[in-house]
Amino acid sequence: MPEGKFCNKKPIDTAEGINELLSDTSGNNYYKEMEKLEIDSDLLWKTIQNTCKSRIRTWLEICAHCGMCAESCFLYQVNGRDPKQVPAYKIQSTLGEIIRKKGKVDNKFMRDTMEVAWAKCTCCNRCGTYCPHGIDTGIMFGYLRGLLYQQGFVPWELKIGAGMHRVYRAQMDVTDEDFVDTFEWMVEEYEDDYPGLTVPVDVEGADIMYTVNAREVKHYPEDLAEAAILFHIAGENWTVPSKGWEQTSLAMFAGDWAACKMQVETVYEAMERLKPVRMVGTECGHAHRATVIEGPYWAGRKNGQPPAESIHYVEWLAEALNTGKLKIDPHKRIKEPVTLQDSCNYIRNHGLKKATRDIMKHIVEPGYFIEMSPNKEHNYCCGGGGGFNGIGLFRKQRNIALITKRDQILATGAKLVLAPCHNCWDAIRDLEEEYEIGIRWSFLKPIVIKMLEIPEHLQPEE
Amino acid sequence: MHDLLTGLFFWIALGVCLIGMIVRFIMYFKGLSWRLDRVAYTSYPAAGFKGAVRSIYKWLIPFGTYGWRTQPFITVAFFGFHIGAVMIPLFLLGHSLFLKEKLGISFFTLNATFADILTWTVVVSAFFLVLRRMVLPEVRIMTTLYDYFILLISIAPFITGLLARYQVGDYSFWLNMHIFCGELLLIAIPFTKLSHVFLFFASRAQLGMDFGIKRGGMKGTKMAW
Amino acid sequence: MGFDMFKKILFATSATAASDHAARVAFNIAKSYQSNLNIFHVMGVPTRGYSQVVVDVKTKEEVSVDEDYIAWVTEEIKTYYEKYLDESLKYSIDVAVGLPAREILRQAKTMKPDLILLGGTTGDEDETVYKKSLAGSTLQKVAKAANCPVLVVNRPAASFWGGLSNIVFGTDFSKTSDKAFDFAIKVAKALDCELSVFHALDITPLHTGKMLSQDEIEQQIRESLRKIRARYESRLKELKGYSMDVWEGIPFIEIVKYARDKHADLLIMAHHSRKVPSGDIRLGGNVEQVIVRAGCPVISINK
Repeated sequence: MPEGKFCNKKPIDTAEGINELLSDTSGNNYYKEMEKLEIDSDLLWKTIQNTCKSRIRTWLEICAHCGMCAESCFLYQVNGRDPKQVPAYKIQSTLGEIIRKKGKVDNKFMRDTMEVAWAKCTCCNRCGTYCPHGIDTGIMFGYLRGLLYQQGFVPWELKIGAGMHRVYRAQMDVTDEDFVDTFEWMVEEYEDDYPGLTVPVDVEGADIMYTVNAREVKHYPEDLAEAAILFHIAGENWTVPSKGWEQTSLAMFAGDWAACKMQVETVYEAMERLKPVRMVGTECGHAHRATVIEGPYWAGRKNGQPPAESIHYVEWLAEALNTGKLKIDPHKRIKEPVTLQDSCNYIRNHGLKKATRDIMKHIVEPGYFIEMSPNKEHNYCCGGGGGFNGIGLFRKQRNIALITKRDQILATGAKLVLAPCHNCWDAIRDLEEEYEIGIRWSFLKPIVIKMLEIPEHLQPEE
Repeated sequence: MHDLLTGLFFWIALGVCLIGMIVRFIMYFKGLSWRLDRVAYTSYPAAGFKGAVRSIYKWLIPFGTYGWRTQPFITVAFFGFHIGAVMIPLFLLGHSLFLKEKLGISFFTLNATFADILTWTVVVSAFFLVLRRMVLPEVRIMTTLYDYFILLISIAPFITGLLARYQVGDYSFWLNMHIFCGELLLIAIPFTKLSHVFLFFASRAQLGMDFGIKRGGMKGTKMAW
Repeated sequence: MGFDMFKKILFATSATAASDHAARVAFNIAKSYQSNLNIFHVMGVPTRGYSQVVVDVKTKEEVSVDEDYIAWVTEEIKTYYEKYLDESLKYSIDVAVGLPAREILRQAKTMKPDLILLGGTTGDEDETVYKKSLAGSTLQKVAKAANCPVLVVNRPAASFWGGLSNIVFGTDFSKTSDKAFDFAIKVAKALDCELSVFHALDITPLHTGKMLSQDEIEQQIRESLRKIRARYESRLKELKGYSMDVWEGIPFIEIVKYARDKHADLLIMAHHSRKVPSGDIRLGGNVEQVIVRAGCPVISINK
């Protein structure tokens, strides 16, 4: 059976397709079929010849096998220093092998490679900053995932996730109507407390166009209200697009580059349609990476920039606090040991460490903010990045991966962890569930709202 | 034999090495693609240049980066090996005279004692690099015969050079062996992992541009990546 | 019976013992007034990021949600409430995935019930899969945001809805309280009950800023009584019986005491929408405290 009913090389393009795949509980049949999935070696090799150019080839060639990347990888550290977890080994034994064999690899090899690509690398890119030759294994794993996706060797949830983007232009089955509806509903719920609170939809020429993570719409709509409240109190001229509001990209985790392009283009179209001065995305790491850092290239934008200047939520928040648009009541600042999770996707990969530290200065009583060690660009992945959080098949491996962050948090002694990233937030939630170390965790929005000084004219009447 | 090695063979080895390096260097940069690599190389030349230079410069300095600092043992062995491996071929008195005669150029020359120390440091460091490959599981797993072969052809000129230097046995035999090994090394450079002697700069420059342009450099991060 | 204030009821339940008291009341009301009862169950918290896996509320195990699972859960709920589900009851069962408060509100948004019925706290918060101490409790969130009255049954003693005769209405003279009063009057009229209007004078130094002298307290009690008369008495006269009282103390304690004193079968209060000043929202406002302590069902009104 070369192509299975559930597991095959075809991307999912219809809602029916998604439902059908969803109906296969936990992907049990999907993975069974994967054992018989054939490899199109010609296509694989042709793709490599067309897309694997000097950068990656040179990386694979000049890798000195020196092992200096080993210690940099939290998965190596946390899996008993298993030499099979050395980044260089992981990529050489997978992508390196595929290229050496000119694409002529077998099914078992591809399934093992899938596990390495999604359960032994979170694409956090930390090792890349520790290699004397400047070899970024995380980038190569991203590339490898693309090849695996093409061949149909992709974890069940990510195949679905990429399909969601293709069908709904969102990572979950949230339609444009659902989005606007939910946003309006949430604003209604809070307008008593914040008179004049609205959600301006599709306003042209606003200063800020706000984009979100579909999960907020689906499961955590308070987050939408909180965003509205903060923009409202800061006096921002903001808007949300009724189409092109989803900033995330599970397609990026899946290696479905075509879907990545489709997804990000809807956001860029919204920017071109509404012509905002800036786009601000929600507290999500991979969403920022997808839409702001990588997206322009998927969409073929040669200058590497989205159509409008695009910043992460922490950049906006830091700016609002620094300029006094938002004022913190000093009495309400956090007065307990608190630590901060640096998201790889916008700290290591976009240099935003200063913004988050500025925020901490405003919202934490001096002396209570405790940095993790290591931190900033050298911080470790939360343990669930790159799609790891969502893959049932690799849940066990993911839970082991959480140990690094658990121990980092424990070492700070803080009981409160601020995590301005959905993936990190999830991973930290899961690590509390798994290891019960007695911590609380939060996004920034709810924390900041509680300590705001609200200008007189925006306060509710008694 | 000596004449052949210092004559025709020398020219062939040098030619192959230089032309090979140049060709591969050009090929490397021609193979970069803003779209596939997802780096807007040409749009931000200043940011790219700054990132590339910082990336190369910092990594060339012993303990100059976080990466070097976290692993002092290999850093010492690495620089012990590489400093000599670069300096001795170019600046040893004997090499200098030879280059002056052949190419009409000469650089400054090393003090003889210092040169001895450097050479021994290379050999000892190489020993530790080999030892490291055999002892540490995280290095052993990746190490292939090819890696030892590369180390062997890299270290051979130094060992034969030392044997000649201390005139162990037949001086002219060791000298010829030394020249032969040196030329073999030159020829190997463009075609093997030894290409890192120049592709190191290319690869570091690329990653430096990547971070300098796209991944934080333009947001003010001053890391050496 | 002529009582049509609760035509549609949304009964949010965990379908476990924690909801049993609430269930008794829910089925009681639905049968008494021929209401449409929607039994709504939130299966669990989504986990694994965007995946289809939830932590089941009952088993606390990770399960994969698909059609089969939903059907199975629905069947479980039916079995659990078997003794109540007879032909005379108009009911439907819905299940959802998500954070309970949000999903209950979402369900309310679409079905627009006349009453939301909630069980009490599930006990030790830390033992439930819903531990989200930063997010606040289900009860607080639903009571704060719902567009309809929210009836909460917490203690076993409160799990009775029979022939109502005494209703207590607690007021803090806010706008929301006026709305709650409208509702209280309506219910009292429709069910032919007595209505006792009550105000608790907060004399805790935390609230007043100082220790009040007895004269000051009595002065304030007189003022509050005047206020009650001015605001409510004209409409109270339409009822068969009513009373008005002001007691001083810690408000939620006084209300609970007063309700006990009046043999109240139902307590009606406005939800304090003003934010709780202290940082710890788990302490909650007056309504939450009353709900936890009251010996009869409590209805909280927000809008």
